This record gives sequence, structure tokens and C-alpha cells, in this order.
Amino acid sequence: MHVQRGFSLIELLMALMILTVITTTSLAVFVERSVRQQQASELILAYQALANETEIVRRVDYDSLDSLTDILSSDMAIIQPLSPYSTEVDVALVRPGVKSVKITIRWRAHREASVTVLRTDTGGSNLW
Amino acid sequence: MVTRRAERGFSLIEAVITLVVFGVVVSILLALTAEMRGYDKRYPINLMKHPQVNAVLARMRKDVLDAFGPDPYPASYMMHSQSSSKLIVYSVQETGFAQTVVWDFTTPGIVRRQAYSVGGVVTDWTARGVPGSFEVTTFEIPNRPYAVRLKATDQTGRLAIDQILQPRAHN
Repeated sequence: MHVQRGFSLIELLMALMILTVITTTSLAVFVERSVRQQQASELILAYQALANETEIVRRVDYDSLDSLTDILSSDMAIIQPLSPYSTEVDVALVRPGVKSVKITIRWRAHREASVTVLRTDTGGSNLW
Repeated sequence: MVTRRAERGFSLIEAVITLVVFGVVVSILLALTAEMRGYDKRYPINLMKHPQVNAVLARMRKDVLDAFGPDPYPASYMMHSQSSSKLIVYSVQETGFAQTVVWDFTTPGIVRRQAYSVGGVVTDWTARGVPGSFEVTTFEIPNRPYAVRLKATDQTGRLAIDQILQPRAHN
């Protein structure tokens, strides 16, 4: 007697499970790649804003550095894709005549980028 | 001898269960794909990953940082005039002699840098296949008039590059 039958439900589910594992793994790799690319893009945008702010900070008179606020002076349009973000400027006296200015941008939960500028009191007011 | 063929398809329950499992998989795939597309829409295209854009930025930064003199950005030089798509910089070259550099962004996809010295072209460098469009403007830093700002937007008009450059002090 020749019994011709299709797949059982168990066989079909097993096949689907294997297909799901393969598909999910492949997709997870692509998603991870995409996320890392986006993180790199975020950093590049953030460091552009930090570089711009640095250009301004390095032109602030030494004696006026302490009056800097957490609100950055340069145009922040470049980091709009990171919204909502926060900024912080921390000025500290390293030693007499030398101050450090740390500029930080934070976005999302734990993402941040910062640069530290060291300023020396040259006694002059015009670096040009 | 009679051959009996027990030929049957899936029952309704089997088909429904299979479709449900498949539906779950497809919905997961769609959700992940939507998330990826959401990221793509949010961020501008990363122009800085293009080597030719990086080369333009690096060379232009060097020219501006080395700009000097009472008029580091002359209004015009030879047949060139200062504009939002053209930057003229009076800078210093590696030999220590002065040069006038003209950055030309007028042609889409092409950035041209021409350096002149004593009225003649010293170097002529062209970057081709440059994505996006560039714009050069001045940037006001209080009491410091010499900063320039280079902005570039990607093909969809999103701001991808925004760099403020200002000359360094020279002796």
C-alpha cells in the first residue's frame, strides 16, 4: 500500500522555527550595523558642534571664561537630529594662569561627547 | 490488488497555526525594518564618510588656519569674486611664501581649489563626485572678524556639515 501524505504540523513548525532563527539572526546583524552607523553619525555631528564651540571659546577673554554658561554660543542646528539633547560647560582652574573648559553634549540615555580646551592667561586680549 | 492512497492536505487548525507563526515572524521583521528606516530619515547622510569631502575639509581648514594679513579674505582676486559659493583666502604655503587660494563650490558635485602666487596658478586641485551642496559664509565671533563657516547639505537638503574655521595667530 502506497501512502502519500504531506508534512505533519510538527515538521512544519520545526521548519518554520529554523527559518525564523536564521532570518532573525541575519536581521539582527543588519540592525546592529545600522545602529552602529547611526552612533557614528551622531558622534560626527556632535563633534562638529563641539569643534565650532571650541573656536568661540578659544576667543573668549581669559578673565571672562568663568562667566560661560551651559548654553552653547554657536548654532546648534547641526545636532538637531540628536534632540532632545543637553549641553554643559565646565570651567576649572588647573593652576594659576591656566583654565580648562570642558564642553559636553549629552543625548539619549547614555550618549555623550566632550572636548576640553586649555586656556592660558597670556596677559593679552587679542590673539590675532 | 487495490492501492489505497491516503492523500490529504493540512487541516484548518494546522493552516491557522502555521499562518499565525508566520505572521509573528513577518511582524517582527516589519517592526525592525521600520525602526531602521526611522533612523535613516532622522539623520542626514554622513558626508564625512566620503573621502573627497574629508579632503576638501582638511585642505580648506589648513588654508583658513594659515590665513593672515590685514585682509585675509580679499573681495576679489583676478577673475574671482568672494561669494557664498566661492572663498578667496590669503594664506601661506609650505615654503613660507604667501599665496592666494580660491575655493570654488559653484559647480554641483565638483569642488576646485586653485592656489595663486605672484599672479600665476601654483596648484590646481579638483575633487569630483562630491555629494551635497556647499555654502561658505562669514561667522561672527565677538570682536574677532575672521571666522568663516562652511555648511553642506545632503541631497535631501538636511544639514550634514557645519564647520567654523578661523585663522590661527602667526608671528
